[in-house]
Amino acid sequence: MFDLVGNLALGFAVALSPMNLALAFLGCLVGTLIGVLPGVGPIATIAMLMPLTLKVDPTGALIMLAGIYYGAQYGGSTTAILINVPGEVTSVMTALDGHAMARNGQAGIALGMAAIASFFAGTVATLVIAAIGAPLTKLALLFGPAEYFGLMVLGLALAIVLARGSVLKAIIMVVFGLLLSTVGTDLETGQERLMLGIADLSDGIDFAVLAMGLFGIAEILRNLDNPEARNVVGGHVGRLLPSLMDLRRCFGPILRATGLGSVLGILPGNGAVLAPFASYTLEKKLADDPSRFGKGAIEGVAGPEAANNAGAQTAFIPLLTLGIPPNAVMALMVGAMTIHGIIPGPQIMIKQSNLFWGMIASMWIGNLMLLVINLPLVGLWVRLLKVPYRLMFTIILVFCCIGIYSINNNPSDVYFTAFFGLVGYVLIKLGLEPAPMLLGFVLGKLMEEKLRQALALSEGSFLTFVERPVSAGLLVIAFAIIIIAVLPAVNKKREAAFQSEM
Amino acid sequence: MAGLVVIGMAVFAFWQGADLPIGTLGGMGPGMLPRSLAVLLGLLGALLLVGAMFEAGVPLEPLSIRGPVLVLGAVVAFGLTVRPYGLIVAGPLAILISAFASEEVRWAETIVLGAIMTAFCIGLFKFALGLPIPLAPWLIGY
Repeated sequence: MFDLVGNLALGFAVALSPMNLALAFLGCLVGTLIGVLPGVGPIATIAMLMPLTLKVDPTGALIMLAGIYYGAQYGGSTTAILINVPGEVTSVMTALDGHAMARNGQAGIALGMAAIASFFAGTVATLVIAAIGAPLTKLALLFGPAEYFGLMVLGLALAIVLARGSVLKAIIMVVFGLLLSTVGTDLETGQERLMLGIADLSDGIDFAVLAMGLFGIAEILRNLDNPEARNVVGGHVGRLLPSLMDLRRCFGPILRATGLGSVLGILPGNGAVLAPFASYTLEKKLADDPSRFGKGAIEGVAGPEAANNAGAQTAFIPLLTLGIPPNAVMALMVGAMTIHGIIPGPQIMIKQSNLFWGMIASMWIGNLMLLVINLPLVGLWVRLLKVPYRLMFTIILVFCCIGIYSINNNPSDVYFTAFFGLVGYVLIKLGLEPAPMLLGFVLGKLMEEKLRQALALSEGSFLTFVERPVSAGLLVIAFAIIIIAVLPAVNKKREAAFQSEM
Repeated sequence: MAGLVVIGMAVFAFWQGADLPIGTLGGMGPGMLPRSLAVLLGLLGALLLVGAMFEAGVPLEPLSIRGPVLVLGAVVAFGLTVRPYGLIVAGPLAILISAFASEEVRWAETIVLGAIMTAFCIGLFKFALGLPIPLAPWLIGY
């Protein structure tokens, strides 16, 4: 406990330096600005804005990136409430009741409540990270390659189950992602693999390029196919601050959602996606009058938003302690860390405790800033959302191009982005969801490395994964999850659940 | 349909990785993982194909041509022009080409937008952030 206070004090000392405060502020601001644009989720936002942080020192860069992430997340909720276009899966639930409230002339209250719920959840999640970061790091140091491999298999299994659509298609996408991750120079022998003779691929496919293609460009192509049916809620946003009664009504939901989100966010394999959905379902079950949900129930905004934000933040835990990115956003963080020469994993906390605790403290500061930035700027976001899409997408496209070019100053990255944009578009049309593929790609390199290490240690015997209790346990859970998801009864329920989400 | 595409990708990956040494389980060669993943992908694709034959297929959403060609064309055009001609050419070009992907395109509006956006990006990325992105090497030398 004493440790915790001391560590947090160190963190705040780092995060409160004028430079880092300014970076966190800037990150939140531009993150929200880009995140508000319809069809641009956190993944595309971070990939686009990563070059902004290249000139900053590592700690500052990560603080700023984290700010961009929260900003993008919150911007997505704003879009969901105001125009019913959720930027990504996690704000789908917010759109249901949030947009209904906006139509009832309560857009301001919905936005205010979302901000307050997010802030509360963010505060708790920051404490959770601070409290369990250190013990988990110690645990991580005991993990061998077999355990890491098992943990990543579990992550992929969760990603498969959490994906929309058929389980088989999700498995295919994960395998495809793993296959893509093997492109480039082999880790151990230095041999070139699957490069099609393209020299620019020798370092493998850049993750930012893949993510931008699949989530930036492909999204634009898809939106162009569906002519816009946006109805921006009229000029008046109304009062921003919820009444005391609203607050009291939302207190329980926020508390429960924060718990749910914090736990689910830690799971490898994008558990955070599940959090808002779980919270919404829970509140609907617990409500005195469930029929209000979907028609503008304020709990239906507060719960999912709190869950979303808590999960978004605790997702940092696997990255910072184990070095395993649990979702695509965290994989981009790995990319950014690598550019600055930081290797994510248990060593960060030990060797670079300034950076580790500074980043954690800045998470709380970032959440506070979002509250301060967003409430006064709501009017600006509303006006921004009135720009017609035919102009908006060209702007998004140019930002994408400049962002991708600037990461490596390499025009070929821009071509690859275009290529993966096309791939993403075709996959979406074929009913294959790109999200699990991205996670397969993210974990692929690390998994191959650990698999080879484990097998080299055991001299080629797969029994090593079963003989070690931790890795055996993780693998059993992973297979159990998949098998349960394929069982007809559960499968039907799962499909129904995703249907109602749509 | 999706099944066929998946099988196609698997075959392609297998063919590309065919000449890589596999090694043994204890000392895996660079080819082992790509090849086993390609085989796995092919099997899963076949499973999808067989499954699709037995149930009424959902009709495919039509693929449009205009949007993808122009948007991707704009991205490629940006990549081609940014080095030799700089942002001053690449920015407006990308906006101009991509604007035609939407059926509601308007000439005047697009040109004005292209000019404003390029000026804004130059201000932001070049001067405020100091990124080494070329502006107009043929005109001012950087």
